[in-house]
Amino acid sequence: MSTLTTIRPELLRLSQDQVGVLTPYFLILSGIILAILASVLKIFSPKWPVFILVIAACGAGVSESFRLLDQSPVLLFNGMMISDTYSNFFNILFLLAALFTSIISFRYLDREKLQHPEYFILLLFSALGMMLMASSLDLIVIFIALELMSIAVYVLVGFRRADRRSNEAAMKYFILGSAASAILLYGVALIYGATGHTQLKMIFTVMQIHPESTSPVFMLGAILVLIGFLFKVSCVPFHMWMPDVYEGAPIPVTGFMATGLKAAAFATLVRVFITMGYGRGLSEILQHRVHDLLWVSAVLTMGVGSFVGLTQTNLKRLLAYSSIGHSGYLLIGVIAGSKSDLSFAPGVFYLSIYAVMNLGVFIVLGLLSSRDDSGLNIHDLAGLSRRHPWIAFSLAVFILAMAGIPPTSGFVAKYLLFYSAIQADEIILTIIAVLCSAVSVYYYLRILVYMYMMEPMGSPRLLRVPLWTGFTVAAMVVFTIHMGILPAGLVDLARKAITSL
Amino acid sequence: MDISPLFFYGLAGLAIACSFWVVFNRNPVSSAFSLVLVFFSFAGIYALLDAHLIATLQILVYAGAIMVLFIFVIMLLNADIPSFDLARSHLFVKCIAGFISVLLFGLFTWVFQKSPNSRALGPFTVEAIEASGGNTQVLSELLFSEYILPFELTSILLLAAIVGAVALAKRKLAGGRF
Repeated sequence: MSTLTTIRPELLRLSQDQVGVLTPYFLILSGIILAILASVLKIFSPKWPVFILVIAACGAGVSESFRLLDQSPVLLFNGMMISDTYSNFFNILFLLAALFTSIISFRYLDREKLQHPEYFILLLFSALGMMLMASSLDLIVIFIALELMSIAVYVLVGFRRADRRSNEAAMKYFILGSAASAILLYGVALIYGATGHTQLKMIFTVMQIHPESTSPVFMLGAILVLIGFLFKVSCVPFHMWMPDVYEGAPIPVTGFMATGLKAAAFATLVRVFITMGYGRGLSEILQHRVHDLLWVSAVLTMGVGSFVGLTQTNLKRLLAYSSIGHSGYLLIGVIAGSKSDLSFAPGVFYLSIYAVMNLGVFIVLGLLSSRDDSGLNIHDLAGLSRRHPWIAFSLAVFILAMAGIPPTSGFVAKYLLFYSAIQADEIILTIIAVLCSAVSVYYYLRILVYMYMMEPMGSPRLLRVPLWTGFTVAAMVVFTIHMGILPAGLVDLARKAITSL
Repeated sequence: MDISPLFFYGLAGLAIACSFWVVFNRNPVSSAFSLVLVFFSFAGIYALLDAHLIATLQILVYAGAIMVLFIFVIMLLNADIPSFDLARSHLFVKCIAGFISVLLFGLFTWVFQKSPNSRALGPFTVEAIEASGGNTQVLSELLFSEYILPFELTSILLLAAIVGAVALAKRKLAGGRF
């Protein structure tokens, strides 16, 4: 009988390569720790130092990830984590989302008299969790990273403590989110029980060698893990929390959730699917079960997202339903990915495009809102084009992109997604998706009608747009239109990221 | 005669009965105390499975530290008024909840009956662990070699939770200054 070799000092030593690819993570972690130290030292007011530290950490992390984008994959920590083009691509996305969210939050927190350093620290924690999630190859690490991301966001959602809606949203999100985490963890435990491994690659190998390990227990575990993920991306029937949480959370946090959290959950889902051999070597029954489950969920999600959205008048709730609808389209990318020759690249492309336009919408809403996040009804937009033509124009570009109208990036993203679905023989799904997308155009256009065709009501309030926010929004508008006309560069990058898996 | 099945069914029955008591009891303090009993019966089951370290940790961490915290919080909040009234929820909702619970119970029973009761896969079989020094030694060695990443990440997770707790608890509400 062989004894286990449990003491392996070589696992604790990092080679030059490994330290190199870990720099983005170390940068963010050291940013967090320095920010914590800066906020407990009572020598100076922590407002500016913490903000600058967070911005610097995110900026340095982005540039490091850019440098590592073409690196060949490096396995870390006994194969529990990997740094490849895919993980660095998503690191850039998460860190940019955190960077822009911090920039717009600074003014927002001043206005709401909530300027506390913990806000930025938690934002960085959440970003670190996302980065680890998208680059882990082990179910335990995925779970811990998911919790790191979620716990920070639970607190951020309830950050306006004096506000009842914010409290309610935080409690709802926390309780339902913990239940979803428990379901996911139970699924991981069942998978471990069936295969004896938590590493994705080992589970795949075991399934190849011992086909009997894909027993009902394994199946149940896989489905429970999937449910945990579907909750995080708020797919129907696990979407109930989302409109309330979106409405109650501070606006910058809502924007961060809609971009970062969603991208992280989808990125991890795609990595798990590809590593577990979805479409290439996974057992037939499991593949069919998962496919049917995702198919039903995608149809329901798109339906709820477009039809329930029609009745909403609060802009944050409306965007919550729009976000649910977009989760449905992203699921199409996951379903079709295994069979089309674009693979999962359209989904990744859609995620990055969607992140930019969504963050843009929330930045503009943050500018328009008045104290306590009020003034975000659709009627408040009436006549905006007369008062602030440039703000109205940028909001219009983002909204058109969300509706998927050319020449914005949203059109290209949807086109690629539906194209890959047709290639994968998902004709019915594509027809449903196009119809739902047409329905949702109604509520997107209603926003434009209010902005451009309605008379302004009441006394108009003049806004002062901070210089940095103006720059950020302008850059996002340019990106959205640029990607609508010349998307090839980003598509290639997405494809390269997918092939690196 | 092997009497361990007897112990198992006794402990499992106790755990299930106490869990029901936790959910249906209207007094938070006695709910909390029956949760302690649930944790103790779990510890007994772990001990039956020869996982003595986990059994001890279960008692120390869950039944000891976490439950004391629970009870402190309940007493601090002075929440001895029954705040959750089961009778208030709709009959329809109760029926749906009951139906889904029975359905899930059926599903899980079916799944576990249907699966082949094969030997444990993976490197950590009972014999291999026995040969290399027992549960406690193997666990502690693995935590600092093979599982170093999750182990260290847990500390980051705890740090995030602490910062979050401070942000929720300590903040001055009105002034908005640090």
